Amino acid sequence: MPDPAKRELRILRYQPGVDAAPAFGTFWVENAENLSVLEALQSIKDTLDGSLAFRWSCRMAVCGSCGMMINGAPKLACSTLLRDLPPGPVTVEPLNNFPIERDLVISVGGFVKKIESIYPYIIPKEPRTIAQGPYLQTPAQLAAYESFSDCINCMLCYAACPQFGENPDFIGPGAMALLQRYNGDSRDAGRQKRLDAIHGEDGVWSCTAVGICSEVCPKSVDPANAVNQNKTNSAFDFFLRFLRKE
Amino acid sequence: MNESRPYRRPQPGNWWAKPPYRAYTARELSGVAVAIYGGVLFAGLVSLARGPENWAGYVGFLKSPTSLALHVLLLAAVVYHVITWFQTLPKTMPKLIVNGEAVPAKKITGLATLLAGATSLALVLVVLGVTR
Amino acid sequence: MEIFEADVLIIGAGGAGLRAAIAATLADPSLTIALASKVLPMRSHTVAAEGGSAGVIQAHDSLENHFNDTVHGGDWLCEQDVVEYFVSQATPELIQLEHWGCPWSRKPDGEINVRAFGGMKIERTWFAADRSGFHILHTLFQTSTKYPQIKRFDEAFCLDLLVADGRAQGAVLLSPSTGAFTTILARSVILATGGAGRVFRQNTNGGIVTGDGMALAYRHGVPLRDMEFVQYHPTCMPGSGILFSEACRGEGGYLVNKDGYRYLQDYGLGPVTTTPRNKTMELGPRDRLSQAFWQEERKGRTLTTPNGESAVHLDLRHLGLAKLKERLPLIRGLAMEFMGIDPADTPIPVRPAVHYTMGGIITDIQTATPLAGLFAAGECSSVGIHGANRLGSNSLGELTVFGRVAGEQAVKFAKEAPAVVANKLVDQAKAAAAKAVALRDQKGGGERHSVLRKEMAATMERGCGIYRLGTEMQETCDKLAELKQRAKAITLDDHSDVWNTDWLAAIELGYQLDVAQAMAHSALERKESRGAHQRLDGFEKRDDDKYLAHSLAHYRGDGPPEISYGPVKITKSQPGTRAYGALGEQLEKDGTHA
Repeated sequence: MPDPAKRELRILRYQPGVDAAPAFGTFWVENAENLSVLEALQSIKDTLDGSLAFRWSCRMAVCGSCGMMINGAPKLACSTLLRDLPPGPVTVEPLNNFPIERDLVISVGGFVKKIESIYPYIIPKEPRTIAQGPYLQTPAQLAAYESFSDCINCMLCYAACPQFGENPDFIGPGAMALLQRYNGDSRDAGRQKRLDAIHGEDGVWSCTAVGICSEVCPKSVDPANAVNQNKTNSAFDFFLRFLRKE
Repeated sequence: MNESRPYRRPQPGNWWAKPPYRAYTARELSGVAVAIYGGVLFAGLVSLARGPENWAGYVGFLKSPTSLALHVLLLAAVVYHVITWFQTLPKTMPKLIVNGEAVPAKKITGLATLLAGATSLALVLVVLGVTR
Repeated sequence: MEIFEADVLIIGAGGAGLRAAIAATLADPSLTIALASKVLPMRSHTVAAEGGSAGVIQAHDSLENHFNDTVHGGDWLCEQDVVEYFVSQATPELIQLEHWGCPWSRKPDGEINVRAFGGMKIERTWFAADRSGFHILHTLFQTSTKYPQIKRFDEAFCLDLLVADGRAQGAVLLSPSTGAFTTILARSVILATGGAGRVFRQNTNGGIVTGDGMALAYRHGVPLRDMEFVQYHPTCMPGSGILFSEACRGEGGYLVNKDGYRYLQDYGLGPVTTTPRNKTMELGPRDRLSQAFWQEERKGRTLTTPNGESAVHLDLRHLGLAKLKERLPLIRGLAMEFMGIDPADTPIPVRPAVHYTMGGIITDIQTATPLAGLFAAGECSSVGIHGANRLGSNSLGELTVFGRVAGEQAVKFAKEAPAVVANKLVDQAKAAAAKAVALRDQKGGGERHSVLRKEMAATMERGCGIYRLGTEMQETCDKLAELKQRAKAITLDDHSDVWNTDWLAAIELGYQLDVAQAMAHSALERKESRGAHQRLDGFEKRDDDKYLAHSLAHYRGDGPPEISYGPVKITKSQPGTRAYGALGEQLEKDGTHA
């Protein structure tokens, strides 16, 4: 009879300059029933091996730091409770499809560049001064983009996307959700500029509508919707442009 | 001095055969059934153009057990494709906002599937009516 | 060592740092703004703020009301001229955020919606569902990418400020991903590094909230002001301390004890009403609500959670599922994910946890610290608006109002300042880097920083909790002195360069211990009760004769901090009785106060 209070974690370890390739290390944590995966990692770091590296901060699934593969699926470590996982060892790996810098820490620079590349800010339809007060935006207009604005940039969707796995330059689901967040905003007029940034193979067209990105999203952002809507937009834009030239 | 050496784990070549991607792979493969059935119809068109004899041969083939088995298989695959396609539908269209709230994906899928089912049924009834 | 020359350096890229960066670049687009953060900007702890940000917008509200709520809420320890400026600028800043795209919740006609918050006479909290801080942070971060003059240093850990000729002129950063050091030279520096709530055990704060900027300024001789005032938020998850927003009560939630009784009526917060009534019952201020919890616990009227923490119930059932989904989706998600409870049909067990440091790096109304060229904004600073107890939804407003001021003032200073003295500064940077490397490599002492951190958090909770005793505070002070000694003998498990988070945590512990000392000694010296500082050892009353004054903690190296006092700026509100509920309404009617 296994002791439910103890749990085995198999963690993918990699230390550059020392390890040629990542390999699993095994740790046992106590009091496992009450711990999230993040708390289990913290307890390992505090008591067993201080060299274990992982990112974390808010502990409440909103800062987006602690995405990792847990039993093979991309999840936030803070909101994944050990007691909710099937019995037996829990495997913890860095997010798929990203370069591993060390242990559970992956490179995030590429993702940040992608979100910077799609003009992630309001390009106003009609500029307003502070004295003119806020723009009007009805709840329906808000609902048109609100879910896309809930993205916490945790990158789980990228770890779930096989096309990003094939092509690291693919703009990917998270950045497209952000693009749609602004394109769908009633205050914004930057749609054309953003569409120009995502035509082509590294833009929306790498997507084959696998759809797992939306399933793993911890905030129900539905990035697959953002990508696929913009395939349509990109296609229309292509033909309209053709017409315009004539 | 700088020991940073990011390690790239390659994506396994058979990712499409593993969960959670199997459902996607099955959906895409079932799309092939649509193409095959298109081929069957096209063959009928060709044999019609080649004259009554040729057409009779085509109709004979349609009645054969092999063809019936093929049609059952194709129908199953197409139905699977239709169902899964409508599950994907909400992910491919702009957000539907009704009374200031986004319509949930499940509702869109349900309505669209219902609509497709009803149209198919109507079509079947019309065809049965015409041929009677 | 790589050297980067900027005009303005901002350390911290949360709400205040990002707002400062944008303000700085708008003030003079020809300048180079370096923006360094130990995490990606969108991980900053602003992200976790839930309820919203206060700004007068309703016709029947006034700046006067916001001023009074803030000053009374702060138990008259506020800088009143600063509060006047703050309330006048809060709404324009919220409109600015709206123009930048912040998805504020709306009324059916498309106008901004506001909600009620604790200690507030009229509803004035702008909100974006219950993810207000998240949306403010992401809006600011995304907007900042518009300006190429803002050169970001993401995931760059600040080891020290560079100070020469009595002037802050840069900082030395450590990049966790490579272990390499960078010197940033700048003609002015803004600290926007956030609070220090992690020095306590149960807290609502992210792991990064370790008081870095406070400690850095403090070590360079800048006093930390009002550090004894630490806010306990009354409704947090027992054990982890994760926050359940005050918006839960703003929307009409009840707090009940184990008998299902709305106990706040026993602590001068009544009368009981079924719908929310401003400044009454659950809409009382945070300090009073946390104190009421403590009293209930002593009376044995709290419940005990499976992990042994005391708690009361936050009951949201009567709000209904639709309202919870619209107004409090994050709260519902947290309760379901972490506790397996749907607040639509089960009350949530909650208890107070440390939430906010009212005090911080002393600045004037223009965010300037006494060290020339050094500015501070946001939770790390004490510009003077919170006094002894911060009003809920005043902290997000502070980030933008004073973030902007800091950005503009730092630009002004940079343009007038002489060129930086590179040689001297680079030598300092090398020394700071060498010190950090020595900590990383030292062996033999055998102390684990994780052990020291737990002991620190435990002693802070015991000595500097909701109610305080002189003897316990003294014990905490002694314990902190001991921990500081033991910290010298820290030995790391990890001596490598790349992503050595063992090393960073040890450096952070150093920051935390200094800040904790400032808190504990400031608390011990304040022999009265005011706002979040409540004593039970003969100093239960507010003592305006002696302590209507800001405490100032001065760094004294290995020794305990020296505590002195500075004046409080009173403009139009003379200290009076701070009352809520029926008494508050009576006093207000009489024109005497509250």
